[in-house]
Amino acid sequence: MLGVALGVAVFVSIDLANQSARTALSLSLGALQGKATHEIVASSPAGLPEELFVRLVRSGVRPAAPVVEATAIITPKGPGGKPEALPLLGIDPFSEAPFRPAVGRIAGGGLDLKTMLTTPGACLLARETAERFGLGPGERFPARFGTFERQLLLSGLLESATGDSPSAWADLLICDISTAQEATGRLGRLTRIDLLLPEGAFSARELSLVRALLPPGVLIQEAAGRLREGDEMTRAFRMNLAALSLLALVCGSFLIYNTMTFLVVERRRLIGLLRALGATRGEIFSGVLGEAAAIGVVGTLFGLGAGVVLGRGLVRLVAGTINDLYFALSVRDLALPPLTFAIGIAVGLGVTLLAALAPALEATGAPPQGATVRSLLEAKSGRALPRATVAGGIVLALGALALPFSGWTSSFLVMFGAIIGFALLAPGAAVLLGRALRAALARRTGRVGWIGRMAASGLERNLSRTGVAIAALVVAVSVTVGVGAMIASFRGSVERWLDRSLTADLYVAPAEREAGFVGASRPATIIDRLGAIPGVIRVRPLRRAEARSTTPGAGTIRLIAVEADPSATVIRQGDAAEAWTGFARGEILASEPLAARLGLSVGSTLPLATADGVKPFRVAGVYLDYASDRGIAMIDRAHYRRLWRDDRVSGLGLDLAPGAGDLELDRVAAAVRALDPQEPLGVRSNQELRRRSLVVFDRTFKITGVLRFLAGLVAFLGVLSALLALQLERTREIGVLRALGMTTREVGALVAAETGLLGLTAGILSVPVGFVLALILIEVINRRSFGWSMDLVLTPGVFLGAIALALSAALLAGVVPAIKMARTSPAEALREE
Amino acid sequence: MRFPSFILLAPVGLFAFGACADRSPGPPRSETRGVASALSAGPAGSDDGFARALAPRTFTFPADHGPHPEYRTEWWYVTGNLNTKEGRAFGFQWTIFRNALAPAVAARGSRWGARDVYLGHFALSDLLPDGGATGPRFLSFERFRRGALGLAFASAAPFRVALDDWKLASIATGAAGPTWPARLEASAGEGTTRRAIDLVLEEGKPPVLQGDRGLSQKSAIPGNASYYYSLPRMPARGEIRLGDQTFAVSGLAWLDREWSTSALSPDQIGWDWFALQLEGEAAGSELMLYRLRNRDGTADPVSRGALIAPDGQTRAIAWRDLTLTETATWTSPKSGARYPAAWQLRIPSERLVLTIRPMLDDQELDGAFRYWEGAVGVTGTRDGRPVSGKGYVEMTGYADATAPPR
Repeated sequence: MLGVALGVAVFVSIDLANQSARTALSLSLGALQGKATHEIVASSPAGLPEELFVRLVRSGVRPAAPVVEATAIITPKGPGGKPEALPLLGIDPFSEAPFRPAVGRIAGGGLDLKTMLTTPGACLLARETAERFGLGPGERFPARFGTFERQLLLSGLLESATGDSPSAWADLLICDISTAQEATGRLGRLTRIDLLLPEGAFSARELSLVRALLPPGVLIQEAAGRLREGDEMTRAFRMNLAALSLLALVCGSFLIYNTMTFLVVERRRLIGLLRALGATRGEIFSGVLGEAAAIGVVGTLFGLGAGVVLGRGLVRLVAGTINDLYFALSVRDLALPPLTFAIGIAVGLGVTLLAALAPALEATGAPPQGATVRSLLEAKSGRALPRATVAGGIVLALGALALPFSGWTSSFLVMFGAIIGFALLAPGAAVLLGRALRAALARRTGRVGWIGRMAASGLERNLSRTGVAIAALVVAVSVTVGVGAMIASFRGSVERWLDRSLTADLYVAPAEREAGFVGASRPATIIDRLGAIPGVIRVRPLRRAEARSTTPGAGTIRLIAVEADPSATVIRQGDAAEAWTGFARGEILASEPLAARLGLSVGSTLPLATADGVKPFRVAGVYLDYASDRGIAMIDRAHYRRLWRDDRVSGLGLDLAPGAGDLELDRVAAAVRALDPQEPLGVRSNQELRRRSLVVFDRTFKITGVLRFLAGLVAFLGVLSALLALQLERTREIGVLRALGMTTREVGALVAAETGLLGLTAGILSVPVGFVLALILIEVINRRSFGWSMDLVLTPGVFLGAIALALSAALLAGVVPAIKMARTSPAEALREE
Repeated sequence: MRFPSFILLAPVGLFAFGACADRSPGPPRSETRGVASALSAGPAGSDDGFARALAPRTFTFPADHGPHPEYRTEWWYVTGNLNTKEGRAFGFQWTIFRNALAPAVAARGSRWGARDVYLGHFALSDLLPDGGATGPRFLSFERFRRGALGLAFASAAPFRVALDDWKLASIATGAAGPTWPARLEASAGEGTTRRAIDLVLEEGKPPVLQGDRGLSQKSAIPGNASYYYSLPRMPARGEIRLGDQTFAVSGLAWLDREWSTSALSPDQIGWDWFALQLEGEAAGSELMLYRLRNRDGTADPVSRGALIAPDGQTRAIAWRDLTLTETATWTSPKSGARYPAAWQLRIPSERLVLTIRPMLDDQELDGAFRYWEGAVGVTGTRDGRPVSGKGYVEMTGYADATAPPR
């Protein structure tokens, strides 16, 4: 029952966490976006001139809604409040209703239009968000917008009158567009203008009418793109989670199968008796299945409950990772989609019944007398072995067939082909290994020799039980090995990349960036001001920006505008010298994930919207980068400034004189911090930045670590139940051995040797399987789906660890049966005869 | 007398207001409080800081065509009856209300900061559908805008009132140019519900001051009054558009201008207002009449009328000097409200007996609040000789009289 519950729980929890993250994503993006069909955006970070909105509505373009978006950093009241970044949505209430009807339907006294329009700083929060920050209506509170600290007034609370999805407004600061402009200091500017264009025949006409009104550098695009983009942005991450939840499902199924086998085995004697007493095969069969169903139902229910509890923990990890990697997303509610539960129930019951089917058939198939005899069963298992082996080979080959295809489905197929294939091959391999061991011990005399030989042959003799246990253990351990090796390789590659790309001594960024305001920037004058600090020999400015691409499905492309630094960037594709020559001419370098996502290679072009309209950019080279899984286009800063008319900087690298020690670093850092108290700058040393990057990396893989642990737990339980089943059946055998003069210590040693051997076999088998899985994860999943390339790092530790894990899991699982059997008195064990 | 827009200040689901702009159907009725309850609840803001209409003042034109920001509420209200050469008839209503949120607001960095909110109503009635089906015979549209960035504004020299692409503006562009003729424009909707109007309005008769030299008392309480003048007979010419059909039209329009800070008393539930342009025996005369209805069903004694002679001379008609009898009713299928649908008006002192009938029953506006505003036809006698005419009637406070007071 525990097995069933755990199997279901693992699958359900991961799926729930995944779904919740996704729901929160579409809710928060949907709340911001509303029902707009199109949006007008600027290609430069400065945003749109507000006069454009006036021009549109005066020309009769309706409905249109101006929007100012920004990030506010608010610190909850009370001790220990950590600053949080909240999206700010500045709206024009008179334009809103057709777009965000959820706002329109909000009733109650909270909405005071007069205050909202005439009181600077007036804003609205969802009730639950206000409570979280400890704020009440009418209260003033400070909020940071970039470099500015502003006093805001909570003029009202948002409550959904209809009761639907109030969380759509959670963690959103809503204010009038005037307050939004003043708070962010972006007077006269809009982030975007939402449009609701009629569908069908009118659409094209309206669209061209709107286009004719747009100045250069401003474009109109379909609004669905934003949601799609956000969805796609986290898709790779979520697919990874889905893969893990499926792995959990496979492990869970093994566990359930194991549990059911154990149960039937326990009742073999009873079944034999019942059959002898005249029970028909049908009765036995339905009896076994009925019991399985009962166990399945109870176990599944427990599993669902545990899954929800576990899911709550996991969802925080998932949301944390999305926050780290993508954008501010808060998942406070666990979504409970019925489908997940349906799948959980189907898996729990289905696998339980399916798992019970084989033992049930086996039990009913046996003649009454034979039901109690193991040898018949084992003979059958022996005959099944070649079939399982052949099936394993076929599954492996089928998985390999999917290898040439790109895309997620085929990547999954390859991976699962490998896992299931290897699991089917495992019993055969175990037999071979057992035989080899027996041959090796053939000439050993003494206790080690005979106990070892007995244990080795036991592996083969008890294949009906050990086979499944070994397979489960191999799957679980190899997943651990594969994922572990992948993470180690990934981390190693990231470390090397950090070492190479972090070449400046100090890194300077607007202080508000650390609080989560990713768009923070400073005017270009900061370059000279920093350069004037004594000890600084070179300042390397960097501008992070976004540009829309007209390539279908490309969405927003992250741009990094820098000065060429060939020593810090590894060109993976294309000749390095030519790449840098092209870069100097204004061509772009595509990061590997970008190239993979858009199918770019050296020589292809990427159209990007500049301030002068859309221009094609030739890809001069593809470079190694782990900064974004969406990909980055690197462009020469001089060209960027000209084409986007934007010379602000998002970050700067400072080079100090060679040989500058820690004291010198601290001195310069202090000078940077003191440079501008009004618009403070944050400084990090090379080492600190490296360490922090790795912290983010490790946090990203925390959930993977949790899943590794769960897989290990599943494996352990699998082995435990298999061994319990095995030893239970062998009570009589042990009794005979004891009667023949074997001491309790020797019996204990035999059981330990058997379980140890089982663990060792699984451990050894999982090394190559884990290796193959790691290869698949790195070469197929990561390279193909994310575009990340990494060097496979195989540390002996990972493999030794795998063997140790399998061995200790097996030995630990063997402790209880060993003690139990050693304590059995021979007379008692034989009495039943 | 016209519809005051200080309902804007009532703390009801204000975001919902924009919902019906250019869209139908509007928001669920239950969410917007009706005229009567909003009026009886009074304006949400205080009247402090606003000027009040306490005594007659001197009107100066063209300055008074422009805004009077020291008063809370103000409107430019144009209605009219138009005909094609072939005789097809249309009615139109084009209104822009200005409503101040506060007497004064601090200067702000953002140009979006606003003191005034503007509300626009545009309705077109297709009165004689002999040209075939062109969608619904009556359609109304509503828009809200803040008075900022030139999205919505009013100015006297040059004369302009605008909300998005709805505007009334002097054709002469300079500040010193003549106010009239002015161009009136509006368009809204799409497909078969598309409605547009583009007219040139002449001044016609010079401004007529209503009430006591332009001070129009709305209840016995001092200050519950407005400054009120009309241009009652403006020749109009231009085109209107229904769906993809365009009609060249001409006819007469009526401009009402009113500004005030507070008008109604809590006892008043609504009003009926008549603007009639007469022909026949009374050719060249206009009749303006309003009845303020109390909760108990009686008419407030300040209700009154005025007969404007062809030479522009006005004769006031006190309420006790006339009888207004409802002779039919119409129940709105949308709101369930029961409106008067025909009247008999007797003014013995003027020897006038008039029958007033809507040209179309359903001219109920379906915006943030419901009221009936529609084209009417007039028949009757003066001294026993035939009188005809056209005009507009406004009726408020009916939609909510049928609902339990909240």
